Amino acid sequence: MNSSNLLTIFFTLAIVQNFIVAQFLGLCPFFGVTKKLSDSISMGMALILVMVISAAACWLITYKLLIPYDMLYMNVVVYILVIATLVQIIEMFVKRTNANLYNAFGIYLPLITVNCAVLGITLINLREEFSLIQSIVAALGGGFGFILIMAIMAGIREKLELADSPKSMRGLPVAIFVAMMLGLTFFGFGGIG
Amino acid sequence: MAQIIIITVIGIVCGILIYIAYRKIPQKVQGLEKTEEISSILPGLNCGACGYAGCFGLAQALTQNPELVRNAPCALTVQDPDRLKRLGIALGMEIDASDLIKKALVHCSGGSVSIYDYSGINTCKGASLLLGGNKKCPFSCLGYGDCSKVCPVEAIKIDPGKNVVLVDWNKCIGCGLCVSECPQNIIELVPVKTKISLLCSYTPLRNINGRERCENGCLHCRRCVRACEFGAIIWNEQKLMPEFDASKCTLCLKCVEVCPAKCLIKSVLAENETPVPVATVSNTALQQKSDEK
Repeated sequence: MNSSNLLTIFFTLAIVQNFIVAQFLGLCPFFGVTKKLSDSISMGMALILVMVISAAACWLITYKLLIPYDMLYMNVVVYILVIATLVQIIEMFVKRTNANLYNAFGIYLPLITVNCAVLGITLINLREEFSLIQSIVAALGGGFGFILIMAIMAGIREKLELADSPKSMRGLPVAIFVAMMLGLTFFGFGGIG
Repeated sequence: MAQIIIITVIGIVCGILIYIAYRKIPQKVQGLEKTEEISSILPGLNCGACGYAGCFGLAQALTQNPELVRNAPCALTVQDPDRLKRLGIALGMEIDASDLIKKALVHCSGGSVSIYDYSGINTCKGASLLLGGNKKCPFSCLGYGDCSKVCPVEAIKIDPGKNVVLVDWNKCIGCGLCVSECPQNIIELVPVKTKISLLCSYTPLRNINGRERCENGCLHCRRCVRACEFGAIIWNEQKLMPEFDASKCTLCLKCVEVCPAKCLIKSVLAENETPVPVATVSNTALQQKSDEK
């Protein structure tokens, strides 16, 4: 395993196989939390944290427990159980040790307890048969791509609030149009990697 | 069989982990007690209608700025007097429900001259598409009554003589439908405790005197600011319009007397009396109309 391999994984998951616009995972926060730029970045930070921790934990569970005992078909159930537990513990920990950190992104932790992007990264790691390091890098890349799209979308939507769009198109409909154009833009990266 | 046991064991281990974390991590940390207290009072539905990320998000915002509660962010709390009282104690401020109840006010008393005869569709929106309306003043009520058509309680009537709409505050429920319907953007939701209101929203964007546009418009003369002995009227230098502080106002009505354009009105009679329809001038016309019936 060399470093260029890790870089490839990072950028493949961040841009080419972007979670939101290429794999359509995590669409609920994509529309729900992109009204303000600061909110969307906080949400993305919380998601990166959860994705990295759950990717590592699920790798251990998969290769130390599920495969040796030949019960890989139960993976989704076990993953949901493990991720939910981890997120609850992280939230409790952040809430009681660091109030500033909790004010910054703690409130999003319960919202992404089992987000499809979080479950998605563990299943992608399994499908691609990544090692532990590769899994963590893949989670970081996926989270980075998620923040990127969330920030772009939030920036556009903040400007759209001021735009003079037709009344029936205001709010969510015009946001979906923007999402379409954003998706088409990132479609251009499709052949790379 | 082994699979069943492993899944069960994972579940039990996860449960025990959460329990251990709950017990071992210190219970209280400084900085969040007040947020927790406010959050326990809020409904806890996480509906997001207030614009924050769940009830805890609103509690965080309220902790930083308790004055935010004056904007009535949570409709469920405002409707529940008991909950509102507890929220007031938690925030350390007196919250009067009547502060949060709002009524629609039309910032125009009519009287602007028509610049052309409009004979299109009989709506304000239709008229506003053509040169911004058929009135000389760009902030004038057009009087076709788009707002009265959307009003769910029929609180808005059109005064045919002055071509301006009147809001009956006894009927108005403060839903805000008329505010979003008005193409001229001259309807505003004001707190029911508002004492003095300016019935004009003409802003002198190009240094044109209001009087050139309308007989009843604000002249931006600042006479009301000088007349007020209690400092309840502040001049807004950006809009070039007076702003009224209801908490300092004693209803001496000196500003109403001194106003040369007569566009300041008293919107509440006195304490213990119910709010009345606005616009004294137009009100008499409405009275005559109902007498004729």
